[in-house]
Amino acid sequence: SIITANQRISKFKNKGKDPTKLREKRISVCVELRKAHKNESFLKRRNISLSSLQDEEAHSPSYISNEMVALLSIEDIVRDVNSDSRESQTRGCQAARKLLSQERNLPLKEIIDAGLLSRFVSFLSMDDEATLQFEAAWALTNIASGTSWHTQQVVEHGAVPAFIALLASPMLHISEQAVWALGNIAGDGAAYRDILIECNVVPALLAFLMLSSQVGYLRNLTWTLSNLCRNKNPFPPLSAVQQLLPSLIQLLHLNDKDILSDACWAISYLSEGDNERIDVVVKTGIVPRLVELMSHEELSVMTPALRSIGNIVSGSDLQTQTAIDAGVLKVLPQLMRHPKASTQKEAAWALSNIAAGPSRQIQQLITCGLLPALVEQLRNGDFKTQREAVWAVTNFTSGGAVEQVVNLVQSGALEAIIDLLQVKDAKVILVILEAINNIFLAAEKLGETEKLTLLVEELGGLDRIEMLQNHDNDLVYQAAHALIEKYFGDGEVVGVKVDSTDDSFVFMTSEPQGTFEF
Amino acid sequence: MELNDANLQSLTEFLRKTLDPDPTVRRPAEKFLESVEGNLNYPLLLLTMLEKSQDTVIRVCAAVTFKNYIKRNWRIVEDEPNKVSDQDRTAIKANIVNLMLSSPEQIQKQLSDAISIIGREDFPQKWPDLLTEMVTRFRSGDFHIINGVLRTAHSLFKRYRHEFKSNELWSEIKLVLDTFALPLTELFKATIELCQTHAADVNALKVLFSSLTLISKLFYSLNFQDLPEFFEDNMETWMTNFHGLLTLDNKLLQTNDEEEAGLLELLKSQICDNAALYAQKYDEEFQPYLPRFVTAIWNLLVSTGQEVKYDLLVSNAIQFLASVCERPHYKHLFEDQNTLTSICEKVIVPNMEFRSADEEAFEDNSEEYIRRDLEGSDIDTRRRAACDLVRGLCKFFEGPVTAIFSGYVSSMLGEYAKNPGENWKHKDAAIYLVTSLASKAQTQKHGITQANELVNLNEFFVNHILSDLKSPNVNEFPVLKADAIKYVMIFRSQLPKEQLLQAVPLLISHLQAESTVEHTYSAHALERLFTMRGPNNTTLITPAEMAPFTEQLLNNLFKALALPGSAENEYIMKAIMRSFSLLQESIVPYIPTLIGQLTHKLLLVSKNPSKPHFNHYLFESLCLSVRITCKANPTTVSSFEEALFPVITEILQNDVQEFLPYVFQVMSLLLEIHSNSIPSSYMALFPHLLQPVLWERTGNIPPLVRLLQAYLEKGGASIAGSAADKIPGLLGVFQKLIASKANDHQGFYLLNSIIEHMPPESIIQYRKQIFILLFQRLQSSKTTKFIKSFLVFINLYCVKYGAIALQEIFDSIQPKMFGMVLEKIIIPEVQKICAVGITKVLTECPSMMDTEYTKLWTPLLQALIGLFELPEDDSIPDDEHFVDIEDAPGYQTAFSQLAFAGKKEHDPIGDSVGNPKILLAQSLYKLSTACPGRVPSMLSTSLNAEALQFLQGYLQAATVQLV
Repeated sequence: SIITANQRISKFKNKGKDPTKLREKRISVCVELRKAHKNESFLKRRNISLSSLQDEEAHSPSYISNEMVALLSIEDIVRDVNSDSRESQTRGCQAARKLLSQERNLPLKEIIDAGLLSRFVSFLSMDDEATLQFEAAWALTNIASGTSWHTQQVVEHGAVPAFIALLASPMLHISEQAVWALGNIAGDGAAYRDILIECNVVPALLAFLMLSSQVGYLRNLTWTLSNLCRNKNPFPPLSAVQQLLPSLIQLLHLNDKDILSDACWAISYLSEGDNERIDVVVKTGIVPRLVELMSHEELSVMTPALRSIGNIVSGSDLQTQTAIDAGVLKVLPQLMRHPKASTQKEAAWALSNIAAGPSRQIQQLITCGLLPALVEQLRNGDFKTQREAVWAVTNFTSGGAVEQVVNLVQSGALEAIIDLLQVKDAKVILVILEAINNIFLAAEKLGETEKLTLLVEELGGLDRIEMLQNHDNDLVYQAAHALIEKYFGDGEVVGVKVDSTDDSFVFMTSEPQGTFEF
Repeated sequence: MELNDANLQSLTEFLRKTLDPDPTVRRPAEKFLESVEGNLNYPLLLLTMLEKSQDTVIRVCAAVTFKNYIKRNWRIVEDEPNKVSDQDRTAIKANIVNLMLSSPEQIQKQLSDAISIIGREDFPQKWPDLLTEMVTRFRSGDFHIINGVLRTAHSLFKRYRHEFKSNELWSEIKLVLDTFALPLTELFKATIELCQTHAADVNALKVLFSSLTLISKLFYSLNFQDLPEFFEDNMETWMTNFHGLLTLDNKLLQTNDEEEAGLLELLKSQICDNAALYAQKYDEEFQPYLPRFVTAIWNLLVSTGQEVKYDLLVSNAIQFLASVCERPHYKHLFEDQNTLTSICEKVIVPNMEFRSADEEAFEDNSEEYIRRDLEGSDIDTRRRAACDLVRGLCKFFEGPVTAIFSGYVSSMLGEYAKNPGENWKHKDAAIYLVTSLASKAQTQKHGITQANELVNLNEFFVNHILSDLKSPNVNEFPVLKADAIKYVMIFRSQLPKEQLLQAVPLLISHLQAESTVEHTYSAHALERLFTMRGPNNTTLITPAEMAPFTEQLLNNLFKALALPGSAENEYIMKAIMRSFSLLQESIVPYIPTLIGQLTHKLLLVSKNPSKPHFNHYLFESLCLSVRITCKANPTTVSSFEEALFPVITEILQNDVQEFLPYVFQVMSLLLEIHSNSIPSSYMALFPHLLQPVLWERTGNIPPLVRLLQAYLEKGGASIAGSAADKIPGLLGVFQKLIASKANDHQGFYLLNSIIEHMPPESIIQYRKQIFILLFQRLQSSKTTKFIKSFLVFINLYCVKYGAIALQEIFDSIQPKMFGMVLEKIIIPEVQKICAVGITKVLTECPSMMDTEYTKLWTPLLQALIGLFELPEDDSIPDDEHFVDIEDAPGYQTAFSQLAFAGKKEHDPIGDSVGNPKILLAQSLYKLSTACPGRVPSMLSTSLNAEALQFLQGYLQAATVQLV
């Protein structure tokens, strides 16, 4: 399993109507049936070639490219690495690294089983043997890029302190290799990430951020930083986040798309979760820049920027307002019409969260012309987008003022959600029924229930809702039934008791118990 | 219970007895089995029997008993004892799959159901090896076994189609996918290959095709929640094979049965569903395959016959096309003129044709036909699917589609004209096509509300519909007649009034048609036309315009009720009700004859009430007869009582529950017409109305309360005099009602009538108890509705008995009670209700004008105006003529309120106050004369514009001018 489950907690602000109630977040299931997202950034990467190497080659004459190393057998490698000769050790390391840099059939387990890891780790501290140091670091990097078990072997052989020490190497390509290896270890999960943080990896990494202007190096560094921000259960400690953030903000103002992409992913990880976490991000003042990056021409930048803003607008009304003030509502229409379906979906998700806000935010959403885009998505979006758009409608109708709901209906949203009552997803159907119910509540306030009843019927909604009374899902059946009863049928009754004989009731009162208190 | 032969023997005997037709043998055996089912080994004994018994009947019976036992007992309910021992649970799970697979089909089905019930509780955690055990059987090569596995898997997995996404559910699906998806795919491929190998062996093919259908169903369940990684990776395999199967035909599998779908149809139908699922939810991934499926499904449609057995397949296939053609990025698949033409010609038109099955339904099963055709229960029909496709295509191609169909309509009408006797079905299809093309939105209330502007509905009416309506022989071409009538009905909002008026007498004559569908449609069309609104909330068709046809209309409607099959035709009865309501006093001359017919009908249906709608309209019609006639001459009420009481008595005596709420309403209506005395015939009934059993049925409560109110109003004194012993019973009803949050307002209605109409001395001894009850209720459950009713009541009490009496009775119950009620209940509520009081404060209180209170004067006035202008809840609509049964509150619950038995609002304060708006205007006028100039200036400076406008309205209505 290379990647993860769903990277984000999709969450929802709850109805803006009830301030006493804690906001509910819609936590998405962690179990995924789908293929992992294709546009997500990588948790771990193998090194096939190193960015800073071109420049460094001159300084390291002993560097031998992949192509130049003859393929040795595992036995030869073991013999070389375990020998006492530096030359053999270097040759063995290079051969191992070469094997580990192939496209497929990586002998990860063989190398580990041969007991080479402790040798590689010990080479890391040989500051006077730069080539050996480098080859060992590279080999370990690629082993750490394997499964969790592989990474665990690397860590358990003591690689963490060795790599952190190696960050200080005067050789940029060696330092970079250490950055990379640490990134792979951090990407394994929350546990190793926190071990790294406890080993003070953050200040060590950031020290080089200040020094380096080499783009390739910065890219690797940004990626490693983003892995330090990543993963939940638990989230990274707040203190580390606070340490990291200023540098991430700095990186976000560069112009390299890879750096921007990973920095944005980092922000997206940090902004995921409860409102306190979102607050930490919002307080940096980065929201306007993120909104700006939502219009970036590179998908790899735009996607995590959109995700970050999506996370932020899932926070409190105040947090959402910073995104609105930064102009998110002006960018969303174009993203909702983006050719990529997954972008449309993310944009619709963000919109659904803004729609969950108070009526003045809903008003801004209307003013910025989001309703036509929303209705377009309801009608023509792919299913995942339609699902988010439906949530947007339901949130809108539960928090919006009566006139706003009228506006929404006039934009064609009612017709569109009624059409969607035929989707093959019980939850979406239930959410639509809730929206229809909300619209009826608004109509009641206007005294236009009957008009709405007719409209729903005209749009084919009555037929569909009636049919849903046969739905196998109980809640759907109940919701449909309740709508029919309430607006297309009639009401109900409850009771208490009185004594009676066959002929009549017994009119009788017990003496009052205690005193009356109203 | 030991697992031994003796026990097997004895259980076998009991099982056999449970099949005995004689209940004295059967019941004890069933009781016995139930009494021993808690014993250890009981389920295992059943399993042994269903496996080993020599007697097939016993084996099947044991299987059914076992399944029912599992259904009742397997689930472990919290806080209840485990009803199946752990030992038995383990043994059952260890054996049941094997047993199921080795059993004959009848038993296999029962065990398969049992497995899925157990699976629902235990799978996957408590039954981890179930799936592996099942999957291994795929390799058996025995398709009897394989189908058993597939069927069981289907019943285990089909809940994935309707359950909400959750971690638990998705973990289970993931586990199923890990174990099941690959073997299923392998089985799918192998089965298809076997179909080729055995292409000539019909018996083998039958088994293989049922496997394929089950596999396709499993595919649907497993892919429903989200697109699993496995199926995305293997989409090519699945979709290529699905596509192949869609295009496959094999003569051997074609069935001769015209009705029942064959294996090929079932399989293809499921594949259409699978394709539709992917097209809807996984569009991005499915896009490369979609065009192929569109073509295949369309070819399938073109080549599939008209037989009923293909209906589900055809309707699924058309629905697939309908859903795809609406999506913008597939628009290009349809936009070619030739494509459109051929879809219209080969898919839509043929499926709109009137088939022999439709003709049979039209003649022999008219109720079903009407339900499908008129009420839209035609969800799965071909015609409905074809209509949906027309609508889908019109989203992007309205112009071209309309043009193509216009050509077809003309040619079909041309065919008809050449030889109507032979080709009448062509005209039927033409009308249907026009209807589906023209209707864009439709409601029961108004018919078509939005039409395709490219279709000239009026021209079509004049050229092709009117001729059928005018045809002198109403029994010729009944289907076309019904089409024509339906056309008028559904396009009534689109056709000009002159055309509708021209149609009315024609429709009346069609009420005489022998065809049930035809005369039913006529009645329905007339009823709908009579509810159309004209200017100023009147009916579009006026009583004056109906005058020439009144006699004919009433005659034909009642004659239609005598036609075979229409004795309880609800459409006709509804048309009778609506005609009465429209025609009003012009029906009076006919009532003496008609009331006899209506009561006769009532007598007949009360023997066995079976058509609730018919009965409802029958009572409505009775009420209308009474109201309209007595309005002109109240003394005629006795003749109605004479006609109705025998039937009413019979209904009450036989306790015809469905009719009681109606009867109470009719009685109330009659009694209310009497002037201030109560006939003895009513008094004799009074004690019966207090019987608790009547009040236990919620539907009886509102009409009974109303009836008791009528008794009190007309005969409060008589009750106090001759039926004083019934007063506690009457108050008992009040107590019963007050105890219910739903009915407490009804209790107050009753109490208010008692206070208002009963002589005070007759209830003085009960007063304290009444208040204690009210306080107790107030204490335990203080709802807004209750408080409002309570306030009205104490005010009424105060008016009738005086303020001192009120204060004394409060304080006699508890010291300082009066103050507490004032402070906690009355004051917070009173401003909402006591507009009169506020008016006085505004206009009769000098301090409001001249002290620091002055700043509150305008806000108070504004609040009062706001109160006046709040929308009111009119319990009796002004426009009751238009009322529909669907609107009738309470229909379907037991109480069916009759709109035409409507009660006049009663105001206990009466004329002493009159209109509070007028009172406000007059009081303000008085105030303004007392301090000239002040009031207008206060109004113009601080009252908001809307309120000012309302106020000016009141002043005008009171014809006063502020000075």
